[in-house]
Amino acid sequence: MAALTEARKQSLRREMEAFLGAGSVLSDPDELMVYESDGLTLFRARADFVVFPRTAEHVSGLVRLAQREGMPFVARGAGTGLSGGCLPAEGGLVISLMRMHRVLEVDYDNQLAVVEPGCVNLHLSWAVGPRGFYYAPDPSSQQACTIGGNIANNSGGPHTLKYGVTTNHVLGLEVVLPDGEIVWLGGRRRDPQGYDLAGLFVGSEGTFGIATKIVVRILRQPQAVRTVLAVFDEIDQASEAVSAIIARGLIPAAMEMIDQLTIQAVEDAFGCGYPRDAAAALLIEMDGLAAGMDEQAARVVAACRETGAREVRLARDEAERQLLWKGRKSAFGAYGRISPAYLVMDGVIPRTKLPQVLRRVNEIVAAHGLRVGNVFHAGDGNLHPNILYDPRKPGEEARVVAAGGEILKVCAEVGGSISGEHGIGLEKMDYMPLVFSGADLDCMARVKRAFNPTGLCNPGKIFPSRKACAEAGLAYRLHPLEEKGLAQRF
Amino acid sequence: MPSPLSQRLAEIVGAPHVLSGAACAPYVIEGRTPELAVFPGAKEEVAAVLAMAADGGVPVTPWGGGTRMGLGAPPAHPGLVLGLGRLARLVEHEPGDLTATVEAGMTVEALQAALGRRGQWLSLDPPEASRATVGGILASNASGPRRHLYGTARDLLIGLTMVLADGTIVRGGGKVVKNVAGYDLPKLVIGSFGTLGVIVEATMKLRPRPDCDRLVIARFGTLGEAGSGVRAVMASDLVPSALELADAEVLRALDGEAGSDGAALLVGVDGLAEQVEWQCAELTRLLKDCGLRDWRLLDGEERDQAWRLLGRMAPAVFPEGSAGMSWGVLPTQVPELMERGGEIARRRGLRAALSAHAGVGMVSAALGAAGAGAQRVAETLGEWRALVNASGGHALVEWAPLAVKERISVWDTPGPAQRIMKQIKAELDPRGILNPGRFVGGI
Repeated sequence: MAALTEARKQSLRREMEAFLGAGSVLSDPDELMVYESDGLTLFRARADFVVFPRTAEHVSGLVRLAQREGMPFVARGAGTGLSGGCLPAEGGLVISLMRMHRVLEVDYDNQLAVVEPGCVNLHLSWAVGPRGFYYAPDPSSQQACTIGGNIANNSGGPHTLKYGVTTNHVLGLEVVLPDGEIVWLGGRRRDPQGYDLAGLFVGSEGTFGIATKIVVRILRQPQAVRTVLAVFDEIDQASEAVSAIIARGLIPAAMEMIDQLTIQAVEDAFGCGYPRDAAAALLIEMDGLAAGMDEQAARVVAACRETGAREVRLARDEAERQLLWKGRKSAFGAYGRISPAYLVMDGVIPRTKLPQVLRRVNEIVAAHGLRVGNVFHAGDGNLHPNILYDPRKPGEEARVVAAGGEILKVCAEVGGSISGEHGIGLEKMDYMPLVFSGADLDCMARVKRAFNPTGLCNPGKIFPSRKACAEAGLAYRLHPLEEKGLAQRF
Repeated sequence: MPSPLSQRLAEIVGAPHVLSGAACAPYVIEGRTPELAVFPGAKEEVAAVLAMAADGGVPVTPWGGGTRMGLGAPPAHPGLVLGLGRLARLVEHEPGDLTATVEAGMTVEALQAALGRRGQWLSLDPPEASRATVGGILASNASGPRRHLYGTARDLLIGLTMVLADGTIVRGGGKVVKNVAGYDLPKLVIGSFGTLGVIVEATMKLRPRPDCDRLVIARFGTLGEAGSGVRAVMASDLVPSALELADAEVLRALDGEAGSDGAALLVGVDGLAEQVEWQCAELTRLLKDCGLRDWRLLDGEERDQAWRLLGRMAPAVFPEGSAGMSWGVLPTQVPELMERGGEIARRRGLRAALSAHAGVGMVSAALGAAGAGAQRVAETLGEWRALVNASGGHALVEWAPLAVKERISVWDTPGPAQRIMKQIKAELDPRGILNPGRFVGGI
């Protein structure tokens, strides 16, 4: 797409303001800068406009305008994504959904809620909490991330081991299709007729359209919760404990692992009471009926001791439980104290492969002369190796990226996947051939074309680039970022 | 003299695995006999068969255990039946990962038996598990009462391999429980009735088998009282695995005795012994306030038999022939719609049997069709559909004699999203050879 002239920009701005209202369009370069990246700052791209619709009709009008002008467009929530998925193509429209943030309706009897896409994840749980309900998917960024963004990435979180990811909690969506038509995919009732387009839409990373209303399940809060911290001198023991707990017939609500480097960073920053000399700690939470809870806790404690835990601590009250979780949830912030920057990797492996893969991860990072902190969802094999680095040191960023690629390769080799919850976005397009054949990707491309025939809806994401395609034998389009020399593939 | 097509198919799968003429009799669909039935022994053979069919423009009807072949609009021409029964291996089961990969033609019962030996199960309980295949239940999105707690195939399927109409083998999802790489093709394929591809292998999430598993039958004087029991359970801390509401006809079939009346609630409770005990006690307490008449705990074979019967209630209630619908409604609407559905049938002089997965809002509604005349049955189903649609729900004719299906559409009128469905179908099966015409809106 050719760059817009200043005069054309002004006229488009006036046209959009006419139906969105004043103060709903940004086009000043300083203001646009805020929207140049998401949580992954390795990639940046600037849109021509950032717009703030308030209704589905607004979104539809914007999408129709973009199609008329041949402008690429992308939806954006809170920008907490970690794969560059909501980055604009250079130029075009960023459609921010932050003004569409209401909980529209709660139906407690049927245990569902209807929300707008910009609704912050945690705000829904706050809204239904007083009546004893909550919304189960809980990404670590739940204080900021939006449910619309969660839909795009099919987000997970610590409690997905027992409760599943976003897709397991979505019943239906009102979406603006890439040609501007507003339709419902699924709804409030189960098993709607036809293809499960709602299920397909979740996790499509904004390439099938823009959700404007979302029907989600809400769950009753569990009667009882028990949280256990198990401390290990060997990281292998902690990994084995995860499988041992499953083998005892239990599915805890969460099983999170924190390695030594992370424990030390967290202790320095917040003092949550994790033993600094431990090789790894497992944070295990069970929830459900009060009856049988002691028995479950006893089984967990026994499994941890059997695999060599040197200490197993049961949180005595809510305050202690919160403190244990604070260590887990603040880990990313704590890295900031010990390193100027870090890259959050996101890979998944079968959980029985944890010991061997964690060893490989640590070897790979060390071979590149870097440090890594591991804090992750051990229960479902979703790794988060966080590679620490200093972007001011020449060449260090490239080594981080290379190490990340090698880690993903290991994940794929053991039967895992290259993303558990952050999505492919721009970051991992070129790793897709590690887990999918050319035929698999071609099938996905055909499905994409059914929704998005002009390709203007969030272009240049998910599918591998020319370099990767040459290996896999796929057709390739140059991403606008590359055309302008603003980004390159690795 | 074998046709050229059957000869070429025999070259792919071996002559004993191609049936033609009278030998195809077990594979008749809605009174129409397929030309040939072919049974590949590997996914590559499935691919070769499909490539050949696509080339010749021959329609293909995928066939698992055949338990749900009556679902969907009658086919204009069943063409080639593609049986998956020879693809029946458990490819991989790693108990520590709580996942299993299985070929599509394996029966649900055989899979559960294999998983059970390692203390696990696939938490799906579709009807007729001894014949229903994994591929078939995925393609037809079959589930059972335990979906109340454990969800449906869409919550359990994490990866699949399918063969597209042109013979391309593609994979979606993967082997790990959390995975957001690429589009969620498994969701697209669940419930697509074989119109987008032929499922050859599936990877699913498993659960440990509960220590203790019980079924409670609670009887009430009226459907309304049993319905208030559902509300009480839903609003409580209980986490039953199943919550089934049954009307008087269904109850009679369960009891196997004449003269039962009223309605019943069947509640599945499983987990650790202590959890089950507490839930049963709490359940009695709650239901007493709703007019509970009588209460019984089932265990072992008695329990399994009740579950099996509940899974295929209509043939048990109406052994001489029936037509049935499934309704998707809001859970709170279930008791009233069941009540009104029963009245509609009675007014038309027909017997009806209605039960529901009450907590998720799925009603199974059957009509005694024998001797009733296709027109009257079709009109009653039509009135049911109007009732359900007016409440905002949807109604699917799940099974009916062909004469009834000729008078009423199997599917509801498609909505605007149908356009996208047709585009997906056109992209993946441009020549329209996979189960043509049987799906929503003529797909």
